[in-house]
Amino acid sequence: MSAPLTECLLRTIDEHYSLQDYQSDISPRWCTGCGDNGILTAVQRLCRDEQLPPEKTVFVSGIGCSSRLPHYMNAYGFHGLHGRALPVAEGIKMRRPDLHVFVSTGDGDCCSIGAAHWIHAIRYNMNMTVLLHDNQVYGLTKKQASPTSPRGLKSNTTPSGTWLDPINPLTTSLGVANVSFIAQAVDWIPELLYDIIEQAYRHKGFSLVRILQRCPEFLPTLFDPWVRNPASTRLLVHEDGIQLSAALSKTYRNQEVHDPGNIHRAREVSSLTEEIPVGILYRDDDVPCYEDLREGERPNTPGLVRTVLDEEFDKFTIWPEEQPTDAAN
Amino acid sequence: MRQTESAQGQHGIFRAGRTVTQSASAGSRSNRPMNDAPLEFASPRLTQWDPEHTGDQAAREKLRPALFAQYGDLANLRYDYPLVLVDSDDEQSFVQSLSSIFDGILQKIAPPGASGEQLRRDMLRLETGIRMRALGGVEGLLSVLWRLTETDLITACEDAEKDRLEHDLDRARDLLGSDGPLDGHVIDCTEATPVRLLVHGWEQVQAAKAKAFRKKVEGLILSLSDILKADFMKSDKASRPEALQVAIGDASATDFDFDAMSAVLAKGPHENLLSEDRRRRIGATLMVLNSQRFFAPGRASADSSERDAPFDFVFDNCAEALDAFRDRLPQMVDLIKAITIAELEIVNRYRVSQHEAFFAHFDESELGEDELALFPSYLVCLRDGHSGASETVQAFEAIASGLPVKVLIQTDDILGDPTPEPPRASFGGGSTRLAAMAVGVNDAFVLQAASSDLYRLRDTVRDGLAYDGPALFSIFSGATPTISGVPSYLVAAAAKESRAFPTFTYNPAAGPDRVSRFRIGDNPQSDRDWPEHTLSFEDQDQQRVVEQVAFTHADFAICDARYAKHRIPVASSQWHDSIVPVDEHVQLSAEQRGEKAAYVWTIDADNALRKTVVDDKLLRGARRCLKVWQGLQEIGGINDPYVSRILAEERATWEREKETELEALREELDREAPQAGLAKPAIAEPVAPAASDEAPPTVEAAPASDAEQVAPADPDAAYIETPRCTTCNECTQINNKMFIYNEDMQAEIADPDAGSFRQLVEAAEICQVSIIHPGKPRNPDEPGLDELMERAAPFN
Repeated sequence: MSAPLTECLLRTIDEHYSLQDYQSDISPRWCTGCGDNGILTAVQRLCRDEQLPPEKTVFVSGIGCSSRLPHYMNAYGFHGLHGRALPVAEGIKMRRPDLHVFVSTGDGDCCSIGAAHWIHAIRYNMNMTVLLHDNQVYGLTKKQASPTSPRGLKSNTTPSGTWLDPINPLTTSLGVANVSFIAQAVDWIPELLYDIIEQAYRHKGFSLVRILQRCPEFLPTLFDPWVRNPASTRLLVHEDGIQLSAALSKTYRNQEVHDPGNIHRAREVSSLTEEIPVGILYRDDDVPCYEDLREGERPNTPGLVRTVLDEEFDKFTIWPEEQPTDAAN
Repeated sequence: MRQTESAQGQHGIFRAGRTVTQSASAGSRSNRPMNDAPLEFASPRLTQWDPEHTGDQAAREKLRPALFAQYGDLANLRYDYPLVLVDSDDEQSFVQSLSSIFDGILQKIAPPGASGEQLRRDMLRLETGIRMRALGGVEGLLSVLWRLTETDLITACEDAEKDRLEHDLDRARDLLGSDGPLDGHVIDCTEATPVRLLVHGWEQVQAAKAKAFRKKVEGLILSLSDILKADFMKSDKASRPEALQVAIGDASATDFDFDAMSAVLAKGPHENLLSEDRRRRIGATLMVLNSQRFFAPGRASADSSERDAPFDFVFDNCAEALDAFRDRLPQMVDLIKAITIAELEIVNRYRVSQHEAFFAHFDESELGEDELALFPSYLVCLRDGHSGASETVQAFEAIASGLPVKVLIQTDDILGDPTPEPPRASFGGGSTRLAAMAVGVNDAFVLQAASSDLYRLRDTVRDGLAYDGPALFSIFSGATPTISGVPSYLVAAAAKESRAFPTFTYNPAAGPDRVSRFRIGDNPQSDRDWPEHTLSFEDQDQQRVVEQVAFTHADFAICDARYAKHRIPVASSQWHDSIVPVDEHVQLSAEQRGEKAAYVWTIDADNALRKTVVDDKLLRGARRCLKVWQGLQEIGGINDPYVSRILAEERATWEREKETELEALREELDREAPQAGLAKPAIAEPVAPAASDEAPPTVEAAPASDAEQVAPADPDAAYIETPRCTTCNECTQINNKMFIYNEDMQAEIADPDAGSFRQLVEAAEICQVSIIHPGKPRNPDEPGLDELMERAAPFN
């Protein structure tokens, strides 16, 4: 119930945010060539194109290279604890559903120490956009194996190579109840990176975008087979998903028409190992958001808090007239 | 249309009514709700044939329409009444019928078939008991009447049955509102029903509106308070000892050294503090929001002890309602202004340069429909014979004003006195026309209905009460003082059935045109002049006779004692062909009528059936009623003469055209001999089915358009495939004058002469996505060109 009068007045205010309005005073300190730079650019472009008021936008992160992103955004930010970006974001969304909430997390932050929060955040399906920067290595701490590191990767913690197959964040997410939006992007196709993040933002619900990103410092050649060979990237196109420009379509000819409503096919495509699927894997607009399910009949004003507390305390109050009299004693 | 048969027949003017015994047996065959059971009478009660007896004056006054015969004992019928005015947060179900509540319970606890039969019968006895209390004038909460009736049933039953009965009824009571407590006042169809139901519905609608309003305003108050609170926390005041003590609370005041605490706490940055003007504006806005009187404070509201009492919105005359509206207009303006300022402040979009002047001149002219819809509507309850006749004018003024005023006009007497003088202090016969006249206002919601239909029309009633504009509810209660011995429910139902008080709705929100806004489909057999029913009776030879009879305005009017002298029963010995049913008589022209008389089928107090001749006064009433009804049909799109005329014209035109075409074809055939072997027109093959899921479809890549080609016209020039740039900073770090970022933060070559060919080649080599193409060197004197051109070759 927004007063139309207010809407009229808001329309008279001619304000336009440029991309620079979302750039903070701090220059990015990521390594040159890091995929995080492209993700930051895509997010700033989205904010500009959607004209999100900086004071109504929040970027939340945990710990890791990816989690430095809030520092570089001119918006509200919360650089939180390792693995705890999602619960912080959920708290913000619960208390301030009017804010646009973005989460920037990495493969270690999300899929290792924060895995429990990741699973339940999908289940809660709160309206936020989650960017999972997946470079498949702990970069901030100088190369340790992460849950998504390829089997056999030699690192500081696995000098003989990792022993386990990596976790697949896509298939894992697609197996969780109430999943409503799962997509995959790669930082070396900026056009699609932007389109996918844009669709994730516009989806009402928990939108998880796994972004495969290059780490030029510790895994400089990891993605070379896919970066240098467009045929190894399978673009998922659909009228309800991603639609390609002619130029991109010419370069990336390995395309599949994939209906984002088909979760079974989404799981199959997500399991590909030789090819990297890029696009909207799954989307269900009908999954209810937790903040909507739990929306109270009235705001939690100090008056309501006081009233409820008084009512609860009154249940245990011994009123003077109920006190035993001396005669009774 | 008369036939003699031995089979059982059926008739009824009440669609929902049926005998109690039938309901139970229907329920035993299946577990469906009793109200959904087919309408059939296990033991039809035939009226007695009394051919000679015409009765004295007293008997004549007790004559009733023959179709009333089946409804002599309402207590043993399941029909819409009594109603339960449900106390619920859900405005959608503000009223329920007792029968529907019992049906809902039985659906949950009575198993299908014989095993649930006893429970169904017990519940039916309970329902009948509550209905009898309501018919006897007892009112109260459903839970109370349930308890009383349950106690009576248990007391009256045999000892061996007591425990089982008590257990069953307790189990059923536990399900009363199993989806939430369901209780409310039980009311029967009486003279008080229209007001009680409308007021209750209005209160429910306002409660929902109040809930939405409070949620919005309390949210605004909270957000504005947060702004002030955040500003305070940034100020030095927040870290002063006295502020810290308030924050900790009195209970622990002695445990802390607040001066020391204040000294060690960091002071705020003193940046972005609110201006004094903004702080004052927010404070003033909060004061208006906190002190509004249009809705009572809720649980989330701040301490309400200092507030003035909320306004009253229910009136018994339109003048006071309109005066109240005008008196409160300044406060409405202030509240809307405060809400608007609050919404702008919360999103940080209040611009002094733009908005200060706007709000300085903000007045009632700024209040549109959307703004008015935030406030409660005004309910005015008028009653024919009790409210002054001038109220008719006031009511129309209120409805035509477009303001959110809901006017209930209750009428108890729609026939009026037989004398032609206009009645005093009464809306009189005009009361039946008020609603039709209000339709002409065009933007007012209008409902005309009898009390008997109010439950069935509950959604329409709610729509009218929730409608943002004015609304008129013209309700006939059925409690006509001059109709004795007939329950109000029957009188109201008969008024609708006879077209004396037809049901219609005009809902401006239902669509853009009158066809979608105006509805008369709630009337029985709305496409006919009069509804027809089957009348079955037993003749002199004890044979059952079934006859189709129309229920006309005259049938309804004969119930009224004032019209007793305008009708007379006729012995069968005096019947002749010149006595015709009223519905036939009113169709005759003045010449055709000649000496013909008109009759209606009636029964007396002994259920003896007879024809009763009515005089010209009642016939004139029937003719006038029919004309009004046909006018309503016309508005409702039934038998619309304009449409009929256009259809006839179109049909005639079409037939002429087709005939012309046929004639031309015939002439052509006559001229040419038939030819064999003409080729058939080619028919396209059906489209092949889509590929199966097993083989995911692939897409043929589209060629790139010219506009999307990024290569420059000069093949020797350096360029970047900018759309593919990943913003990795590699090239800009080599030379940030040669390579720059565009507005999308993607690299492009700003000036190839701002650096060397070597830098171009190195950038191309280091670019991870290989989108930099160095081209040819621009400076032929640059050292090492041969080597550089060799390195550049893979990227060009």
